[in-house]
Amino acid sequence: MGDRTVDAKPVTFYHPDLLEIPADGSPPYLKGYRCRACGRLDFPKLSPCPSCWGDEFELLPLSRRGKLYSVTDVFIGPAGMKTPYTFGYVDLPEDIRIFCQLEGPIGSFHCDQDVELTVGTIRENSDGSSIRSYKFKKIES
Amino acid sequence: MLLQRDVYIAGVGETKFGKHKLEFDALGRIAALEALRSSNINRPDVIQSAYVGNGTNGLVTGQTVLKDLGMCGRMPIINVESACSSGGMAVHLAARDVASHCSEVSLAIGCENHSLHMQSGTAFSPAMTDIETVHGAVMTGKYALRAQRYMYETGATIEDLALITVKNRRHATNNPHAWFRGEISVEEVVKSRMVASPLTLQQCCGIADGAGAVVVCSEDMITKLGIEKPIKIAGTVVHSGPYHNRPRDITGDDIIEACSHQLYEETGIGPEDIDIIELHDAFTISELLYYECLGLCGKGEGLKFLRDGNSTHGGKCVVSPRGGMLSYGHPIGASGAAQIAACVKQMRNECKGYQVDPVPRIAMTLVTGGGLSGTEHAACTMHMLMSK
Repeated sequence: MGDRTVDAKPVTFYHPDLLEIPADGSPPYLKGYRCRACGRLDFPKLSPCPSCWGDEFELLPLSRRGKLYSVTDVFIGPAGMKTPYTFGYVDLPEDIRIFCQLEGPIGSFHCDQDVELTVGTIRENSDGSSIRSYKFKKIES
Repeated sequence: MLLQRDVYIAGVGETKFGKHKLEFDALGRIAALEALRSSNINRPDVIQSAYVGNGTNGLVTGQTVLKDLGMCGRMPIINVESACSSGGMAVHLAARDVASHCSEVSLAIGCENHSLHMQSGTAFSPAMTDIETVHGAVMTGKYALRAQRYMYETGATIEDLALITVKNRRHATNNPHAWFRGEISVEEVVKSRMVASPLTLQQCCGIADGAGAVVVCSEDMITKLGIEKPIKIAGTVVHSGPYHNRPRDITGDDIIEACSHQLYEETGIGPEDIDIIELHDAFTISELLYYECLGLCGKGEGLKFLRDGNSTHGGKCVVSPRGGMLSYGHPIGASGAAQIAACVKQMRNECKGYQVDPVPRIAMTLVTGGGLSGTEHAACTMHMLMSK
């Protein structure tokens, strides 16, 4: 087949309002948005603000560490996703709950565990390229 | 919502649930004809409006069901979709229609063929436009998160959760409409294939097909139709799920609690008065949590309520007397209407082999719908039924 290869470049998650991966190599962070009119903080960004319909926001980097509220290992997934994988809810100090995949061995997470933000593959496109997004993992000591 | 006049159920119908080669419309017609005939309606021009619940089978589903019965062209047919709540919501709208004098007699149907249109070996997930779905959310996993947290907080075990399946399958033993019936051991439930920890296959409702139908009418029509055992719709409530992305207690359920409070308030009927309940036991954990959310017992007392036999025959309130979704399977848009059909049959003493004794006078149904991020459920529909 000659030298034709699939260009399987990772693609970052579909929406730029969610996750920042700084070009200077500093750690990634989730992007919270605070409504300038009423002060409501949201992730993901909602515009207009669902509390007051304000449409001006201030970007607020969210804490990179949080507590795993609950977690499950999924063995039968939706069509097109490889199993097993792990997902859960992470509660951040800003009083925000994040639904996310967890990066780490199956069976290695538990409720109320401290976790931190990372970036990794959450699923694949039909051409085999990675879709990357925010994930959480155990805090490395 | 407060009904503006008394509304009754004249007749009901349901198919057998399970995997069907028949499409949703054929299933819907079977249930509809049974409901119509048991309402002493034997021609197509008596019904004045129809509401048809369906989750996934496409466009103009109601007209597709009813055209072959000669009902198209005679009445408004309105299609209702709120995922798993669709069928219950169709009954709610039929009741509103009659209560507000728009019609004297209205037909509600919930029907679905889920299995013909789904890739086997995959789990049902919310819409791909949802941020959680993109990150791998499936309904089994979302309920598994509730189970993990409940076990963590209360010390409950997988074996405890399995007791729900054991009870509901036992209830369904002699129910010809149920798919999975009869004895199953705790060990068999626990050792079945893991779907999303701690939920094993036998703790999850089957992906099924089926239909239920309900004929709703005014008091005058009950007399005209010669219905001997009318069942009153004492209350019907629909809520949409509060949206926020803050931490919430997922062993509770904000939308179910709000919906049931309103239903209790509007009907003057409290949890201690209810004889039977069909609820959203799509997974073992949900039935256990909903004992608490509905106030059948206190917070954290669900397991004791179950173990003490309070949710089975001879207990305070028989929960899932038809066998629930864990025995029927759960054809998305069909379940809400089929729950009501099953309760009406119980209240009419028509459930030979699985009849609750004494014959129930007050029944409640609960069906939620939709895995929408930031909500516990997108929708919740409840009904309170009462023998006249």
